Amino acid sequence: MANNLPGVLIGRACQGMALSALTLLLMAGVAQAQSLEVTNARLSLLPGDTPGAGYFELQNLSDEAVALVGAESPAFENVEMHVSSEHNGMAHMHAIESIEIAPGERIEFAPKGHHLMFIRRATPLSEGDEADVVLKFSDEQRLPVTFEVVSPASM
Amino acid sequence: MYKLLLAGLVTLLLVGCSDQSWRTTDIGDIMPKLDFSLTDEEGEAVQGEDYRGKVTLVYFGYTFCPDVCPITLARLGDAIRKLDEETRDEIQVLFISVDPSRDTPEVLKRYTHAFGPEFVGLTGDKAEIDAVTNRYRVAYEYSEANENGDYLVNHSSAVFAFDREGQAQFLVRDSHPVSDVEADIKRLVAKG
Ligand SMILES: [Cu+2]
Repeated sequence: MANNLPGVLIGRACQGMALSALTLLLMAGVAQAQSLEVTNARLSLLPGDTPGAGYFELQNLSDEAVALVGAESPAFENVEMHVSSEHNGMAHMHAIESIEIAPGERIEFAPKGHHLMFIRRATPLSEGDEADVVLKFSDEQRLPVTFEVVSPASM
Repeated sequence: MYKLLLAGLVTLLLVGCSDQSWRTTDIGDIMPKLDFSLTDEEGEAVQGEDYRGKVTLVYFGYTFCPDVCPITLARLGDAIRKLDEETRDEIQVLFISVDPSRDTPEVLKRYTHAFGPEFVGLTGDKAEIDAVTNRYRVAYEYSEANENGDYLVNHSSAVFAFDREGQAQFLVRDSHPVSDVEADIKRLVAKG
């Protein structure tokens, strides 16, 4: 834990800047991102500091393919895109760089499949809270989404 | 109507007939008794024998896992919560960590607490964990750590069920419907 300290400190210092940047993005994003629609955004989280999982549905309403390439949140130090899978009785999880969404297509991030992995809380969060997240796309679009913090028992 | 009656009759026969007809996978003849030497979430050394007297469900996982582990435990918790209180008191769920360097007793205690009073976290040193995973023929492996020092663990997705004497009974796979899992847990508790 001790060797993580510098990272945490830098993280804290950056947080203020990140928040202002996020506010700008939130304003810009609404107009920009009308071709993408996110529904049912939930962040499954437990007490403590174990990582959380982000689930949602995302529809590409435009007539061009777009790729989701990542996400970030001021509430977490790190957000990754992951896929869980099962082979021969083994549960696997690995990070992915991007996921393409064809024109008109709707993809689902759901339990035991694709999920956002939210690592190390920058602010305390508990069930019923909301977390601001920005989804990042290949065409530089950034889509702000509010995730509702829920218990995994509600999934 | 006749069909309903017939379905009812078949169900009665299935339930009444034998010990062998778990809806999930029967492991009575192929898996050894519940046994291990580990550390519980209070930091106390514990043995498999300490968990006799209740129906015991065992899952191997790690708390850094955000998706599969909490979802599996939450669904088990759901299944248990549907039972009446007396039945619930007859069940315990052991979450055996395959990631002891991050899963200290303190971390495990906070983690299992979120799923209900039936859940107990167990950890140990590498040799102790390996002894349990080898005994139940489950594998686990670590991914390489990323630049933040975070790593993932591939692990068994199965839930093992033991009776009150610690005898292996059935195994729940990812593909088994929740209704089958619930029925088997209920039956195992009722078996006395
Ligand atoms: Cu993940």
